[in-house]
Amino acid sequence: MSDTPEPGISPAPNALPAEGAEKQAESRFFAMELPGIDPDELTGKLIVIEGTDGSGRSTQIALLTEWLESHGFAVQTMGLRRSLLVAKDIDELLAKNTVTRLTMALMYATDFYDQLENRLLPALRSGLVVLADRYIYTLIARGAVRGLDPEYLHGLYAMALRPEMTFWLNVSPEVAFEREFKKSGMISYWEAGRDMNLSNDLFESFLLYQFRVKKQFEELSRRHQFIELDGEAPIPTVNEQLRRHIGARLGIADTAYEPSQAFAHLWR
Amino acid sequence: MESPSAAKRSARKSSERGAGAPRRPYPGALVVVEGIDGSGKSTQLYLLKRWLEIGRYRIHFTEWNSSPLVKSATKRGKQRRMLTPVTFSLLHAADFADRCERQILPLLQGGYLVLADRYIYTAFARDAARGCPSEWLRNLYRFAPVPDITFYFRTPLAVAVNRILSGRPRLKYYEAGMDLGLSYDRAESFRIFQGMIQDEYDKMIETDNFVLMDGSANVNVLQAQMREIVQEKIDLKRFLTP
Repeated sequence: MSDTPEPGISPAPNALPAEGAEKQAESRFFAMELPGIDPDELTGKLIVIEGTDGSGRSTQIALLTEWLESHGFAVQTMGLRRSLLVAKDIDELLAKNTVTRLTMALMYATDFYDQLENRLLPALRSGLVVLADRYIYTLIARGAVRGLDPEYLHGLYAMALRPEMTFWLNVSPEVAFEREFKKSGMISYWEAGRDMNLSNDLFESFLLYQFRVKKQFEELSRRHQFIELDGEAPIPTVNEQLRRHIGARLGIADTAYEPSQAFAHLWR
Repeated sequence: MESPSAAKRSARKSSERGAGAPRRPYPGALVVVEGIDGSGKSTQLYLLKRWLEIGRYRIHFTEWNSSPLVKSATKRGKQRRMLTPVTFSLLHAADFADRCERQILPLLQGGYLVLADRYIYTAFARDAARGCPSEWLRNLYRFAPVPDITFYFRTPLAVAVNRILSGRPRLKYYEAGMDLGLSYDRAESFRIFQGMIQDEYDKMIETDNFVLMDGSANVNVLQAQMREIVQEKIDLKRFLTP
């Protein structure tokens, strides 16, 4: 009887044990199995590259794809806001900026699971290497800096697939700013976390926001054993470290790599 | 009825960094009706609403699945049959979150008596019937305020299903649970699916303090019971328009 909820605001939940998830390290999922999935069928590998804006994720993924393909591995990529189901709706909601952080977090979760079920799992069933440009960690970090309970967010992603390895390309907010600015010549509303009213000065808002996201990543890195790399190091250096780690996991002994013409400019 | 200390306790427990939960308890009250399609719950809530309106109480009526912002995504997903149990559940949660944060919570904070036709238990029953883990669903909707009263209209399956099937022949794909592959026949699939949902509702009678209502009783008899329970459990004087 005393277990029945009182009217009002829900008590703190029996939070989904992300910690407990560490114990059952053999499970392919974080805490619960997705309905209708046989984990034994998933012969491919999921490798996650995380990092804030301007940390060099996409560049590294393009290079890694080429390197893996040269070794005969088929590669698939995934990222945020790429689902068939709701990617466009999220774009619209972002443009309008009228929904609350919770609704937004749930739309991102929908986008994530749609890709998980329709892109990631089929690829892993076919034995592909999936390189994820961001994963649940960015979504958790963004929600958490906006005041959502990290345990709630972990619970939301309890049925996400546990990656084989997760790299965190760590860069300072200042370097992130320079790189983002170089890329598009301006700073976007969301990259600067303007919805959080941190500062009316966009530059300052960007730094404050990225700093908070970085703090969340530090927390997540401890909890989920990220492989942290210095994202401010030159592209070839970061790439070499990635190749060494991934090569060891996938059994690729030869980690030497020279990019093709298309990517040669990144090597300078 | 909850004791003042219990109310304080639940207020204290609401965490500082909730999943959207407000930081203070609210002066409003929330009355919810639940039950499978055709159980008679909407008729009863309508009658309750009329009674309260005529009595000049500060009330607001809200329905499941009525937020415009997420509607287009839900509609498209359904039309193209792109939804899995998990994405079906998440889209409805996003929709509900929007309604909860922009309508239900502010109304409760503003001291309204809020009447909800279906609430989170609809998602718990329906999505669990589809195979989503209950624990996951419970966490997903953790931001929702716990109702003061949840009326569960339990009507014999055959009666409820026949009310629907006789009145509205065209059942939608997800509504009929066709995504579960229960039967090629839509009406038959609907029947089985509603039975599964009713089973899930039954599991919550104890755990979620449902007030069990016999959906096969006469409409006016049920309504009299409902009004009596509302008067008993909610201090209606507080909601009188001055």
